[in-house]
Amino acid sequence: MTTDQRPEFHAALNSLEETTMDMADRVEKMVGMAVRSLVTSDNSLVTEVISSDDKVDELYMDIRSRWMQIMARQQPMGRDLRMMAAILELNNTLERMGDQAVNIARIARATAGLPREETILAKLVEMGDLVKPMIRTSIDCFVRRDADECLLLPAMDVPVDVLNRGMWKHVVECGHDQPLLEWATRMVLVSRALERVGDQAVDIGEQVAFLMTGDHHEFTRYTG
Amino acid sequence: MSIRLESGPVVVGRAVSTGAASPSPASPETAPVIFDIKGLNVYYRDFHAVADTDLDIHRNEITALIGPSGCGKSTVLRCFNRMNDLIDGARVEGRVLYHGIDLYGPAVDAVEVRRRIGMVFQKPNPFPKSVYENIVFGPKVAGWKGNLDDLVEESLRRAALWDEVKDKLDGSALDLSGGQQQRLCIARAIATSPDVVLMDEPCSALDPIATYRIESLMRELKEQYTIVVVTHNMQQAARVSDRTAFFSVDVGEEGQRTGRLVEYDATDQVFTAPSLKETEDYITGRFG
Ligand SMILES: Nc1ncnc2c1ncn2[C@@H]1O[C@H](COP(=O)(O)OP(=O)(O)OP(=O)(O)O)[C@@H](O)[C@H]1O
Ligand SMILES: [Mg+2]
Repeated sequence: MTTDQRPEFHAALNSLEETTMDMADRVEKMVGMAVRSLVTSDNSLVTEVISSDDKVDELYMDIRSRWMQIMARQQPMGRDLRMMAAILELNNTLERMGDQAVNIARIARATAGLPREETILAKLVEMGDLVKPMIRTSIDCFVRRDADECLLLPAMDVPVDVLNRGMWKHVVECGHDQPLLEWATRMVLVSRALERVGDQAVDIGEQVAFLMTGDHHEFTRYTG
Repeated sequence: MSIRLESGPVVVGRAVSTGAASPSPASPETAPVIFDIKGLNVYYRDFHAVADTDLDIHRNEITALIGPSGCGKSTVLRCFNRMNDLIDGARVEGRVLYHGIDLYGPAVDAVEVRRRIGMVFQKPNPFPKSVYENIVFGPKVAGWKGNLDDLVEESLRRAALWDEVKDKLDGSALDLSGGQQQRLCIARAIATSPDVVLMDEPCSALDPIATYRIESLMRELKEQYTIVVVTHNMQQAARVSDRTAFFSVDVGEEGQRTGRLVEYDATDQVFTAPSLKETEDYITGRFG
C-alpha cells in the first residue's frame, strides 16, 4: 500500500497536465478549423482559429510560469521529473502547432478571392484528415500513458510526408494561369505547415515513450 | 593478518595515476570496488535489522544511502568500520571485504579499521578541547611522527575551515558554530589519513550555507577519499553522490521491521528513472 506523501505537489502536477491537455484539445480543433477554412473560405473560421490561438498562447504562458513554480518549490524526482520534462516539451510543441494552424487560416483568408485547383485542395484536405488523428493518437497516448500505441505515429506520418513532397508537381501544373499559380504557391506553404504538424505529433509520441521508459530515443522516422 | 595500507591512493586491480587529477576521477562503470559486501545480515540480539544486502562501494566516489527511517542505513554504515562492535548485542553476518580483506576476520584490528575508515556523525561531536587538540588527538594516539602544526593546518584547509579558525586554534572547539564544528569533525576524521570517510546525516543540523559548504567539501574530498553518506535529504543525495543505494523496510507477520537494499544504481539513474516502482514511489513521495 502506498500513500501519497506529497498530495499538494501531485495535485499541482496533475493540474498542470490537465491544462496541457486542454491546450492540446484546442490545438487539435484549430488544425481542423484551419483546413476547413481553406475549403469553405469562411472568414469566421479564420477569426476563430486566431482567437483560439490567443487562448493557446495564454495557456502556454500559464503553463510555463506554473512549471517554474513547481520546479523551484518541489524539486520533482523520478517519474514526476520526467512528467515535468514532458510537459515542458509538449507545451512548446503544442504552441507551435497552434501557430501552424494560424498560418494556414491566414493563408485561407489571403487567398479567398483567388481561383483554386480542386486536386491540390483535395490533397490538402487529405493531409488534414491524416494529421488530425495523429494529434488525437499522440494526446490519447499521453493521457493513457501508452508507450506502445505511440509507436504507430511514425508510420501514420509517412503518407503525410509523401503528399507534401508530391505537392510541387501539382503546383507546377498550374503553370500558365497567374492568379491560380499565386493560389497554388500559397498552398505549398499550407502543405508544409501540415507536414510540420504531423512531425510534431510524432514528437509528442516520443515524449510519451520518454515519460514511461526514461529513454530519450527519437522514433525511427521513415523517409518513404 | 592485519590491515596495513599506506595512506594515499590505494591501487586495487588497476594502476591509479597519482599525478594530474582527471576531472571526473571515477565514472560509475570503471571505479574500482573498495568495499565488497555480500549477504550482509545484521542483528541486534534477536532483532533482524538488515537482511541479505549485497553492496559494492567504489573508490573516489560518493555513495549515498537513502531510505525511510529505521530501514537500517546507520546500521549498514556502521558495518563499514566495525562500529557495530561497540554496540551491545549487535551481530554482523555475511561478508564485508575491504580491499579484498575480510573486515570481520579474526586477525583484523578493529581500532586500525576505524583509523583507516573514519566517521562523521549527525551531531557534531568535537572533544571538549581546543581546536588544535581535536585534530592532533587521533594522529598522536596512532603514533604520528610528523609536524603536528603542519598536520593541523593541512587538515583544516582540506575541511575548508582554516581561514575561519586559524586565529583561534587554542580556543575551545565548543565555541565554534555548528557548521564549523561539523567541518572540524571532518578535519579530525581526515587528519588520521583515512581511506574512507563515513558520514551519517552530516548536514542534518546545519543551515543551507554550511550544508552547501560541506557538500562542496565532500566533492573535493572524494578526489582523495571514498565517501559513504547517509542522508535523509534526497536533494542532497542527488546533488553530491555518484551512486545511490535505496533501502526500505519489510514488515513481517509479527510486525518485525527488517531493512533491505531495494535498488542500487548511478545517482543520475535513481533520481530520474529508477528501475523499480518501489524506488520511484519513495523518491516521488508515494509511500508509507
Ligand atoms: N543499538 C541498537 N539496539 C537495538 N536496535 C537498534 C539499535 N540501533 C538500531 N536499532 C534498530 O535497527 C533498525 C535500523 O536502525 P538504523 O538506526 O540503522 O536505521 P536508519 O535507517 O539509520 O534510521 P534513521 O533514518 O531514523 O536514522 C531500527 O529498527 C532500530 O530500532
Ligand atoms: Mg540513522
